[in-house]
Amino acid sequence: MTSSQQPLVTAERLASLRRAAPVLLLLLVLVAASLVSAGTHGLRLASPDRSRVDQLRLAIGNLPDDALVLIACDADLGTYPEIRATTRVAIDDLAAHQARLAIVSFTPEGRAIAAAERDRISRGGRVEPPADLGFVAGAEAGLVRSVASIVPAAAEGTIADAIRQRGGGIGAFDMVLIVSGSDISARSWVEQVGSRLPDLPLISIAPTFLAPELEPYLRTGQLTALLATLREGIAYTAAVSAGSPSSPGPTPGPLPMLIGMLAAIGALAEAAFRRLVRRRGRPPRNGRLPS
Amino acid sequence: MNGFVGTDLAGTIATWVAAIATLAVWSYLVGARRLFVLMQHLLAGLATGYLILLAIREVLVPRLIAPLIEHPRDNGLLVLALVPVGMLIGAAWLPRRAMAPVGAILVGGIAAFALGGAVVGTILPQIAAAMPASGGGSGDLASEVISLVITSLVLLAFLHGAPRGTVTTRAATVGRWLLIGGIGGWIGFLVVSRLSLFVDRIGFLLGDWLTVLP
Repeated sequence: MTSSQQPLVTAERLASLRRAAPVLLLLLVLVAASLVSAGTHGLRLASPDRSRVDQLRLAIGNLPDDALVLIACDADLGTYPEIRATTRVAIDDLAAHQARLAIVSFTPEGRAIAAAERDRISRGGRVEPPADLGFVAGAEAGLVRSVASIVPAAAEGTIADAIRQRGGGIGAFDMVLIVSGSDISARSWVEQVGSRLPDLPLISIAPTFLAPELEPYLRTGQLTALLATLREGIAYTAAVSAGSPSSPGPTPGPLPMLIGMLAAIGALAEAAFRRLVRRRGRPPRNGRLPS
Repeated sequence: MNGFVGTDLAGTIATWVAAIATLAVWSYLVGARRLFVLMQHLLAGLATGYLILLAIREVLVPRLIAPLIEHPRDNGLLVLALVPVGMLIGAAWLPRRAMAPVGAILVGGIAAFALGGAVVGTILPQIAAAMPASGGGSGDLASEVISLVITSLVLLAFLHGAPRGTVTTRAATVGRWLLIGGIGGWIGFLVVSRLSLFVDRIGFLLGDWLTVLP
């Protein structure tokens, strides 16, 4: 019998490894940078402009006593790590202001994150987890329906009763904290809920890629506060969690972010340079070769 | 620690599974496509299973079936809702003519909500905000006029196929470059966003899994 087994190291595999070498190198450098990131005191990722942080803190600080606050958790599983620490700190901040919290989701991914966060808060045992209003199907249509009724029939507890006493819809809340994702973001809330309940303050935490989409709503006042970049989120986390006994979880260190950004700029420059070289090597359109 | 899992046995297993899945996805970088495809199938299967469970546990049972069983007289409209639900479940076996109106009602209803909200909540307020206000300072007025000019030029860039003069063509070209600049800025935001996720995953492997980070 002849063996037709493929050798372990083929030319194709070697070529693929060679192609992947820069990415693997970047991975190794980022690992090393993550390990030494705690000692880099000269670098700061937190935004020096605290106006957005102050806006959010002011909105939370202006809540009335025993305020009802709805957390609309519709983040994406893929991008939630970017806003995870900020969201946790905001929940702690709201709890520290004696707000009564309820959590709802309009996307399946958001529901998974909301359930995981409720479990985490329950395990911590420091604060009461938000009342669970579950998952509402129907995306925008579900949002509109929730303006009139958001409490599931089976929901029990003091917070569910308080919402029912105030009408049972989104209007029962004193504020909504929107944890935005790509499917249902603060934009959907502004369009569907903000236009029906214009006096309801809407604040949002969003991943960086949503910043260009949501900024205009902050300028027009349709959003009361918005944290939509990693730097603003870290600034808020640092401002609120200083002296707090709970940990919001890890945030990206400044050194790996700096190295990653330099690598991205390097990749961009390399692509531009390659394009330039290709263009110079190309024969002109009239058919004559370059001299 | 990302805090999603506890320190008990279940938490440890979950951390190991997440770490192995992360490494399996990254193995695509060195050409291990089979592992990557396996992870894709795992993700698709888990997501489908989760969606089915969610639909049954949080939508169909509590909002449709339970109210119909407990208070059938008060929920007459839900009986009507059973018809499209049943039709959608059996869509593969039903004729297209029967399914078309159901699909049209669903798509049309959702589109109407989205469109109505976009007009009332975004287009009208944003147009109003883009108009130069009389009460603002000279700096505000200048930035508003610049915004208006940029918006107009970018809108002109979308005039595909319409009859154009020299001025309109040049303005559309400027608008197209402004649009490219805007997209470039947005991609910059996207790169930072994705980079932070990559760094977070490295942090998960080093901190939650290998516990070499505090």
